[in-house]
Amino acid sequence: MNREWTAGNESEHNSKQDEVDATLRVVASLPAPEGLEDRVREALRTAPRTARVLQWPARFVTDNAWVRGAAAAAIAFAVAGGGWGVYSRVQTAKVIEMPSQVSSPGFSNAGATRKPETVNGPVIHRPEAQVVELPEKRGEKDAGKKAEPGPGKQR
Amino acid sequence: MSTSQALFAGWMEIPKSAVDHEARQYAEEQALAELVDQYAATLYRVAFSVLRNVSDAEDAVQEAFLRVLRHREQIGEVRDARVWLIRIVWNIVLDRKRRAKTRPETDDVAELARVLPAGGLSADERAIAAQHHTHVLRCVDQLPAKEREVLFLSAFEELSSVEIADVLGITESSVRSRLFRARNLMAGLLNHSRSLR
Repeated sequence: MNREWTAGNESEHNSKQDEVDATLRVVASLPAPEGLEDRVREALRTAPRTARVLQWPARFVTDNAWVRGAAAAAIAFAVAGGGWGVYSRVQTAKVIEMPSQVSSPGFSNAGATRKPETVNGPVIHRPEAQVVELPEKRGEKDAGKKAEPGPGKQR
Repeated sequence: MSTSQALFAGWMEIPKSAVDHEARQYAEEQALAELVDQYAATLYRVAFSVLRNVSDAEDAVQEAFLRVLRHREQIGEVRDARVWLIRIVWNIVLDRKRRAKTRPETDDVAELARVLPAGGLSADERAIAAQHHTHVLRCVDQLPAKEREVLFLSAFEELSSVEIADVLGITESSVRSRLFRARNLMAGLLNHSRSLR
């Protein structure tokens, strides 16, 4: 029973795999559209090529060392001449001497006047506070209140 | 000949290096044209199997050859031009697939029905076949990328497992194990989708 079930399952598994293979093969074997090669070749023909370095004229390609030397000298002369031209035309600016700082360096006082410290004047002695024994007074008051009979009580 | 005439002749003269350059360029173009004639159809099929759109696949093929044109100096150094070209188009296709928005399923069915060879089938039969293939391909799309790629390339009879390994930059044993996993996963996916129906 189990063996039969396994065999059936396996055959179903294989049929699924065959199904997948068949589909993929169909897709993989589809013919290319007509004229594909021509269109690709045309695209390649019209595609921009990478820039090539310009060729020197044959006259200057020769091994004559003097041509190279002359060219190098001309370049050096042009560079040096240009540099000299700039240097000779540059005017040196006048240097303005700044007045030396009179006050001490640092921030200004922004117009604030300095107040001198006050002179020590006569020392005012505060009188010693009289010690008032408040609790006693209160006690006396309370005693008085208690002693004095109230108006109601008098009656 | 006066000095000025000599100088002019020098300017007009075609240097030997220029001739060499022209000859080399011509040879490269010839080699490229041969590659187009030999492999354009193969590259198209590889591109179509993933993109499933005629114009997208053709664009991918053109882009692949334009890349080859840019690196045409390397053509001589390539050992296996077919595998080299398939690898180029494969990378282009995967890149495009990643960037492209997913099309509705109906578009895929219609496109597949349009390009499927008639083979003596009626229009209805072709439509049913296209629907079935699209369903299977949708299941293939659900596979993990590694398994899916191997499965797609394995469908090309002209590619051996060694060549698939070359295209994907993995070992041959990895190709085999991925293919085994892909087949098992596909059987499961198809069973599941059938039970849902």
